[in-house]
Amino acid sequence: MLALLFILFAGMAIGCAISMVAQRNPLYGAISLIGVFISLACLYVTLAAPFIAAVQVIVYAGAIMVLVVFVIMLLNVEEEERQPMRLRSLVPIALGLAAILFAESIFIIFFVQSSPSTPTRNVSDIGLTSSIGAGLFTRYLLPFEITSLLLLMAIVGAMTLARRGGLLPSGAGIVPGDQVFSKELLERRDIGDLSVVSTHSTEEAERLLGVRKNRQASNDGN
Amino acid sequence: MEDLKTTGLLLIGILVAFTLVMTMVAYTVLAERRILGFIQGRLGPNRVGPGGFLQPLADLLKFIFKEDIVPDKSTRFVYFLAPVIATTAALMTIVVYPFGPDIQLPVLGTVRLVVARFDVALLYVLGVTSVGVYGIALAGWSSNNKYSLMGGLRSSAQMISYELALGLGLIGVILQSGTLDLYSIVEQQAGYLGISGWNVIWVQPLGFVIYLIAAIAETNRVPFDLPEAETELVAGFHTEYSAMKFALFFLAEYVNMFTVSMLATTLFLGGWNGPFVHTVPWLGVFYFLGKVILFLFFYIWLRGTLPRFRFDQLMSFGWQYLVPAAIINIVLTATLQWLGTFDYVGRLLKTATGWGG
Repeated sequence: MLALLFILFAGMAIGCAISMVAQRNPLYGAISLIGVFISLACLYVTLAAPFIAAVQVIVYAGAIMVLVVFVIMLLNVEEEERQPMRLRSLVPIALGLAAILFAESIFIIFFVQSSPSTPTRNVSDIGLTSSIGAGLFTRYLLPFEITSLLLLMAIVGAMTLARRGGLLPSGAGIVPGDQVFSKELLERRDIGDLSVVSTHSTEEAERLLGVRKNRQASNDGN
Repeated sequence: MEDLKTTGLLLIGILVAFTLVMTMVAYTVLAERRILGFIQGRLGPNRVGPGGFLQPLADLLKFIFKEDIVPDKSTRFVYFLAPVIATTAALMTIVVYPFGPDIQLPVLGTVRLVVARFDVALLYVLGVTSVGVYGIALAGWSSNNKYSLMGGLRSSAQMISYELALGLGLIGVILQSGTLDLYSIVEQQAGYLGISGWNVIWVQPLGFVIYLIAAIAETNRVPFDLPEAETELVAGFHTEYSAMKFALFFLAEYVNMFTVSMLATTLFLGGWNGPFVHTVPWLGVFYFLGKVILFLFFYIWLRGTLPRFRFDQLMSFGWQYLVPAAIINIVLTATLQWLGTFDYVGRLLKTATGWGG
């Protein structure tokens, strides 16, 4: 039964992975990648690691890939054209790497088969949420905290970048869901006296920023 | 042989849960139309069968026999895939909800009224729900229609934003019960007469409100039904869908409504707990479904009485009020838990009511 499930989900994962690389349409690639993540999550379940499986689906399939799909939809990327192959010199290197990977797999399979099997104690506990939580907050506290700090730095960095290089004064706040300004619109004048940008319509934003009504002209230009 | 029996029982369990949920969903649609009718001073569908009782069947037949129109410039594969994803993701969560306590059946012996009980049930629910976004987003993209695309984009933004508040709102319950297993969470809420232990009453009132609001946004219902705002977007992401494919989206929406109601019941309203469940276990099923129906009625009531949010209001409400409130709830719950307040109040209640279990 487990072997059957393994073959099913491993096959799905490999198929989706190949399709992800081979697809010319970026959205199809993204969907295939979601398929890979979900098949991997199913494999984790068969390996008695339900927590990792759930987190894999929530974080990768549910959050990161939604953003990727979102961006693809927003940009409305056209299908890639098949281009003449560039970087022809890399082909032998790729073949060499593939050979190494293949040899590695055979090596691992050989050693797994020949090694004496010693079952781990308390196997049923290892993948459970409570044991992972206990591990994270006792033995692996330092790596856990470092990772959290890195993520926090990434958030702060993203926010700094999103504020467009300190163009807005430090007291300014951009409220999510409100009007998003194009960079040109913001750069056209000084906004030193502005403390908060929080508007619900383009007209109001333009009035607040004192920007000339040039949207009509640019629309006509298109 | 034992394996085969377990698998068979599982399949029967899935079938029973599926049939139950589908039947109730079908009649939720009818109930919604009738109740909306009464709210708006009209009758609603009452011609098919006694009191409109056979209306869902008639609707199903109508959906099957309608012409299936596929837009010429649509992205075919994704266009077909989207409703499948939406429905599958909606239906997949049914298996983890405990419908009732263990009951005795004549042939099968003791039967546990939950299809799958496992360690990370709550995370599983959140994960599967988050996959459901793709159904709507891809439907909007593949239809090759600007209204659909706008609806799909809106829904992705809305569901990502409110998923955060939803998840954070649930952390209070998890902190307080110390498990992600829905069955244990229900068991912990027993209390005096099966009522005093409910999480909503004195442990997680704030978490409950946050969950309720975020869940309505997650299921794209009024007042957060911006992905299909008729006045602006025709029908949003499913503008180009017809016949059975539209029915699948419709089904997904109502099954989602049903599952978030079941989750709210399980986590906050004590699941199948209620008076006299310990002596007559069968009552638990009725308590559970009754509470779920209460939530469904609440949904319909909201639809009949509230106007729709504007999109920027929706986003700023989610990020500026709901998420901070959820974080406050987490800090508050953690602090109270650390101080031992919950245990103290629990002991106090025990002495006051004389309940010892």
